[in-house]
Amino acid sequence: MPNQPIKVEIRSYQVGFGDCFLLSFIYSARMQRHVLIDFGTTELPSKGTKSPKPSTYMPMVAADIQRVCGGDKGRLTAVVATHRHADHISGFGTDGRTGESGSIIKALRPKLVLQPWTEDPDAAKDATKATRVSNRSRKGFVAGLASMHEVARQIAALAATNPPWMSAAVRKELAFIGQDNIANLSAIENLIAMGEARGARSRYLNYGDSSGLDALLPGVSVRVLGPPDLTQTEMIRKQRDRDPDQFWHLLAGTQHGATGRGLALGLKGRTRAPEERLPIEGRWFRDRLEKMRGQQLLEIVRSLDSQMNNTSVILLFEVFGKKLLFPGDAQLENWSYALEDAPDAAEVRDLLADVDVYKVGHHGSLNATPRTLLWERFKKRKGRQLQTLLSTLPGKHGHTASNTEVPRRTLLERLETESHLLNTNDLSFGATPELCNLLTLTP
Amino acid sequence: MTVIAQDPAVRYKGQIVTARIAVPAEDLRVGPMGYRLQLVDYDASRRHFNGQHKLPARYEEEPEAWRRGDAAIVEDYRFHAQNTYALVMRTLSRFEFALGRRIGWSFSTHQLKVAPHGMYDANAFYSPEHEGLVFGYFTGASGTPVYTCLSHDIVVHETTHALIDALRPRYMDPSTPDQAAFHEGLADVVALLSVFSQPEVVVHLLRPRTGKEAILINRKDVLPAALRQSALFGLADQMGSEIESMRGSALRRSASIDPDPALKDTPEFLESHRRGELFVAAIIGGFIDAWSDRILSSGTPNQRHFPLARVAEEGANIADALVTMWIRALDYMPPVHLQFGDALSAALTADLEVRPDDSRYQLRAHMLARFAAFGFAPASRRKDPVGIWDAPPTGLRYDRVRFESMKSDKDEVFRFIWDNRTALELRDGAYTEVLSVRPTVRVGIDGFVVRETVAEYYQVARLTPQELTDVGVKAPAAYLRRLAELEREAREKREAAAKGKAPPSNDGAPDGYDAALDEADEGIVTPLYGGGILIFNEYGQVKYWVHNDVFGSGQFPRLRYLWDEGLILAGRDGTRLRASRLSTLHRLRAIGARRAFAEGW
Repeated sequence: MPNQPIKVEIRSYQVGFGDCFLLSFIYSARMQRHVLIDFGTTELPSKGTKSPKPSTYMPMVAADIQRVCGGDKGRLTAVVATHRHADHISGFGTDGRTGESGSIIKALRPKLVLQPWTEDPDAAKDATKATRVSNRSRKGFVAGLASMHEVARQIAALAATNPPWMSAAVRKELAFIGQDNIANLSAIENLIAMGEARGARSRYLNYGDSSGLDALLPGVSVRVLGPPDLTQTEMIRKQRDRDPDQFWHLLAGTQHGATGRGLALGLKGRTRAPEERLPIEGRWFRDRLEKMRGQQLLEIVRSLDSQMNNTSVILLFEVFGKKLLFPGDAQLENWSYALEDAPDAAEVRDLLADVDVYKVGHHGSLNATPRTLLWERFKKRKGRQLQTLLSTLPGKHGHTASNTEVPRRTLLERLETESHLLNTNDLSFGATPELCNLLTLTP
Repeated sequence: MTVIAQDPAVRYKGQIVTARIAVPAEDLRVGPMGYRLQLVDYDASRRHFNGQHKLPARYEEEPEAWRRGDAAIVEDYRFHAQNTYALVMRTLSRFEFALGRRIGWSFSTHQLKVAPHGMYDANAFYSPEHEGLVFGYFTGASGTPVYTCLSHDIVVHETTHALIDALRPRYMDPSTPDQAAFHEGLADVVALLSVFSQPEVVVHLLRPRTGKEAILINRKDVLPAALRQSALFGLADQMGSEIESMRGSALRRSASIDPDPALKDTPEFLESHRRGELFVAAIIGGFIDAWSDRILSSGTPNQRHFPLARVAEEGANIADALVTMWIRALDYMPPVHLQFGDALSAALTADLEVRPDDSRYQLRAHMLARFAAFGFAPASRRKDPVGIWDAPPTGLRYDRVRFESMKSDKDEVFRFIWDNRTALELRDGAYTEVLSVRPTVRVGIDGFVVRETVAEYYQVARLTPQELTDVGVKAPAAYLRRLAELEREAREKREAAAKGKAPPSNDGAPDGYDAALDEADEGIVTPLYGGGILIFNEYGQVKYWVHNDVFGSGQFPRLRYLWDEGLILAGRDGTRLRASRLSTLHRLRAIGARRAFAEGW
């Protein structure tokens, strides 16, 4: 049996604002191993008036993944769901929203399903690892994630009612981010089911864990660089007095499920007096309070979005001396453990300096590719030897006016001038879309 | 009026600890609405008006439940209205007492709008553009509502933001890391010291938790480490955990930061929502030191116990004196580009003016020591007294202005600045405006009245890249490259538009108007700010002049910081500063988020 791949093919599928990468490790004509990293979208490109819907298009992508994996009898070695945002997992759903895409993937019977530790069902029950200072625990952290979905759901539902006090710009952004943060139960259940199928297993990863992929991919080593778990960040807390559960305080009281409803509707049933008519002189401030509320909801949803991104699994593959970095949507807070705080952070920084292929974090946003700690240390930028993969759809997230647009213009310029960039946004779409970019690596 | 002394979680024998505070006398309208504040109890999350509240006209008319601190007041919105109103007005009057004059808000209307239950959110904030304070409420871990308007230090904190903005409106502009942190830092200091200036709260914190009514406190419990533990951590412990979390554990963090001059240059403490904690840690640390020293020095060397009431009273007095010092310091701070060293010199100077004899509490010495421990030196290099602002330049001319007018007339003060523009380093090419002229009256500890006039002016210049070079102001290379790109794009666009068109005519244009000349003057401009304050004594002579040169060497580090932090946005229509909302800053603080713009794009 070959003990090293002779070739690696990386397919970056066009999924609009989303991620879907298929890594194929080719050992011989008869021996191949395939790892699918994420499969989701929140919005597909629209070119002209005829663009396929997710329920039509995503099964096409799944069918191509199936074809690459060997057709009807093909098999996926592993599925990685870096984090639970819809733009990374919606394609695993089986409820029809993305057609039969999830069923097609399930039929490929992955041997291993990898997710961040926050998805571990045991973490939801484990109350024994509470930290010393407070009630923070894996259970609580995971409960907080569930609450985020509820918050997002309530706020997205509120935005959908088109309230008069909410500006169009706020409504649009709330709808986009909110949808991405709503729980995709069908996808989550399918991921769990795939990991529980006969002959398969699930692993829930944090920094430094063994991914389980090394045993399935001869000649390939895989290192897990994120996310840190509570124990690891508790160490930072002691050193720097910095709170690792960054959204914990924000979501105070979520055990009671009240926060999402409260944010959308306030606390009901607390009237102290029969409702009075607001006096004339109070109207001016009332109108402004309502506008402020729109801004407040946006701030909260953006914070939740960032927190969820920071649960992303970060994987570094090493094959025939080449390093491939897939960080999901990890933002600075997630990256900082690997690059600054971990006991072996210096070694990690040196390791990443030699990366050959970098999947651009969070669709090219402004804070998911640490500039000095990561990008400017990539040695292969010299001579544009660095390969970069970008899966994005402009105009959906952030604003140019505030320098928060995704993909970020300044980052995109550097990707284009200092690396060989494959951007899914350059693929043609429409009646006969180009499904993916293909990058081939050889020793 | 009765208010909650800290927050509803702080209780003694089952009752919420309350305090009776004095507020300026007025005949309140139902709302309540008064001469400086309009309370609008509207809940934007429910879109529901909670009604107008008629507050008791006198303390004696208050319900007994309020004065006892019964648990029921937590759900009594009328009490919430009184609590919020009283703490806002008391903070305002505290500032006016310290500064010796009335203070307007930063906006043109007279009444600050306050929403005690503004929206469902674990947040409270001041919004200058909406002229108001918004207090959120949320569901606590126990399932019961938590009202931020019932937290003494949150109400005082937010009111302090409004007052700092009234006195120094430019401090909300992006400028230096210290300026960004100062708003939060000083709001925390005023809020915390305001709590400690209540003897009943201090007694409650110091009383040993034995359930007995102690009247003495052991010597070891008035040493600095013990006072920090009981007073600061004790207060943090007793805060409702949700409120403490919402404030980002500000008190706990500030109390536990060990002095280290290296901290101020670390990425963590360059983030504005963390940097303010260094400011707070220095002042609160100095407060603890001064308090401990005072108690220990006032007894006999072998004294083993001290009367608890007296220890509490001294703590409250010192807290009160420090609040006054730091409020007065605002008048002595430059109008733009504040650094912590400026704030320290301002505080030392302001305090010296009204309390020349500091032998009782040694507050100035303690402030200097604590700031030095965190690596912050006073901006003034003066040695005797240390850190006090220098005397103004000599040779200023006063012969063309009238002192009486200078006490209130901005044009008269501008005339004075203009006549002395060389000595006061007014720069050609920058627009100058006198922002305010405020007479103040303070009473020193000798009983004599100190009259001053505080005039604030600023300069602004908007310069093209070439003009920046001409005046000797450096800018970050990446920023200049970006400006060059934008100018090139704009020029190419104009040339493309001009192709195929006739040259512009002057038909219909003002005589002599030449569009081409107009375009030649345009370019992407960068705003630079400078300015100063002039403190005039009772004879109309400048006592202190504190300023930042609009074209000075300090502009380069400032531009570099703004560019690295993403706070300066270069666009085709010019460069502008990107200010953060206080609501956003509070949320970032609560969740301990890192921004680290140096790592961003």
